[in-house]
Amino acid sequence: MSRINHILRELGRSLYRNPGTVLGAVLSLAMLFLLFDLYWITSETSNRLYSDLLSDIRIEAFVNDGVDDIEIPMVTEKISKIKGIFAIGYISKDSARLVLQHMLGTDLLVDYNNKNPLPRSFVLEVDKKFLNSTDMDMISKEVASLPGIFDVKYSREWLVKAEQMKSVIIEVGLALGILILLTALISLINNIRLMTRARAVGFQQMRLLGASKIFLAFPFLLEGFFISGFAALIGWVSIFYGKEHVSLTQLNIVYPNLEEMVIYCVVAAVLGAISGYLGIRRLLK
Amino acid sequence: MDEYIVEMGNIYLDSGKGEEIFRNLNFSLKSGRTAIITGGSGSGKTSFVELIVGRKFVKSGSVEVFGENIISGRKRIINKVRRLIGGVGGIFELIPSFTISQNIAFPVIVTAKSNKYRYERTLKMLTEFSLINRAGDYPSDLTRVQKALVQYARASVANQPLIIIDEPSAGLDHSTSERIFKYLQDVSMSGLSMIILCSEKISYELPNSDYYEIKNGTLE
Repeated sequence: MSRINHILRELGRSLYRNPGTVLGAVLSLAMLFLLFDLYWITSETSNRLYSDLLSDIRIEAFVNDGVDDIEIPMVTEKISKIKGIFAIGYISKDSARLVLQHMLGTDLLVDYNNKNPLPRSFVLEVDKKFLNSTDMDMISKEVASLPGIFDVKYSREWLVKAEQMKSVIIEVGLALGILILLTALISLINNIRLMTRARAVGFQQMRLLGASKIFLAFPFLLEGFFISGFAALIGWVSIFYGKEHVSLTQLNIVYPNLEEMVIYCVVAAVLGAISGYLGIRRLLK
Repeated sequence: MDEYIVEMGNIYLDSGKGEEIFRNLNFSLKSGRTAIITGGSGSGKTSFVELIVGRKFVKSGSVEVFGENIISGRKRIINKVRRLIGGVGGIFELIPSFTISQNIAFPVIVTAKSNKYRYERTLKMLTEFSLINRAGDYPSDLTRVQKALVQYARASVANQPLIIIDEPSAGLDHSTSERIFKYLQDVSMSGLSMIILCSEKISYELPNSDYYEIKNGTLE
């Protein structure tokens, strides 16, 4: 018990004696975590936006005029056997005319009652796992190779651009995450070093009296743990304060749930504890 | 009572710069005995203490303290041994960032005793060494004599079975010296072991004592 008492007292003493350093550490870390939080929200929101948009992508397969209507169920069956196809819709010539009319607001084929030039088509919904340009290309190719299909189309250019954008967001996020992690570590290490400089002489004496390294380092691990955890919490509190006061309802922003926030703060706190140890390590040799 | 507290055999030690400190040094201290070791400045008294507490390691020979072999890398063993040693003077300085009562209590804290025990022992030491009024002060606020008293209090607080004292009366006035002599007498009669290092022969006799001199890197 006297050890725990000592560790807690040392922790309190360090925080009490260095209010400026502690405040500086908390605020600078809070800013870093806030930056990361904002990135996290941006990334998650764009991710959801991306998924929503992807779910609207369909493959259109146009049926050759030479194919008889009786043969349509056979073609449908062949299409359904292709891996990755989730649902198949059939659009007849008349349905295509209605769709066109709905899109343009007027029936352009009013003089073509006897001969509708619009092709029949299949609208194919693809499984979520296959919603990428490589798989979509493969499916399109397979559908196009079926007898009776003369053309296959989907929003390929848009999908490729969206994929490129997503990979840029992931890469930037990774780089930003690593940068913030390193900055947080270095900032905390330096703060702990500043706070311990005055106590370095005492460490040698404590070691001579039988104090283990971990016993001496523990108050600083806790210090890093609390400072970093608290800073991470401040980051989220600021975000949610902003959410309450700024109306961004149209954007459908994705916020983390409570569990995610708790995990985030704990990870930040553990990171702080590691920084605390790294800050003190040299003095314990 | 034949248990050995410290056993050193065929010790060779150099300063790392080619200067020889110990050459074939042999030493043993039985439980309950006091070794009074004299030696001039630079004779290796501090190195002798550093070998016992595992701050320096021998090039050849062996150092056993409380039956444990003191060799480099055995950190846990060295910490355990250090907790059994109380130290005064020389390398055993006070912790500047701790108050006097925290300094005195520290050996009890590292041995993981209860808060009640720590409180009682610290209070007893503060009272015995007339430091109760300075309990909340820091070492920098004390006189040399008071600092020495704090070191004696710290060396006794956890009832460590071995006390190492480097220059017992260095910087002490006459009355404090007498008080310390009385303390040393009490300790040597209590069954605890002591190693006292001084540059000149001490003027008083202690019971259960053996006298040594470090000369030319060996103990005579």
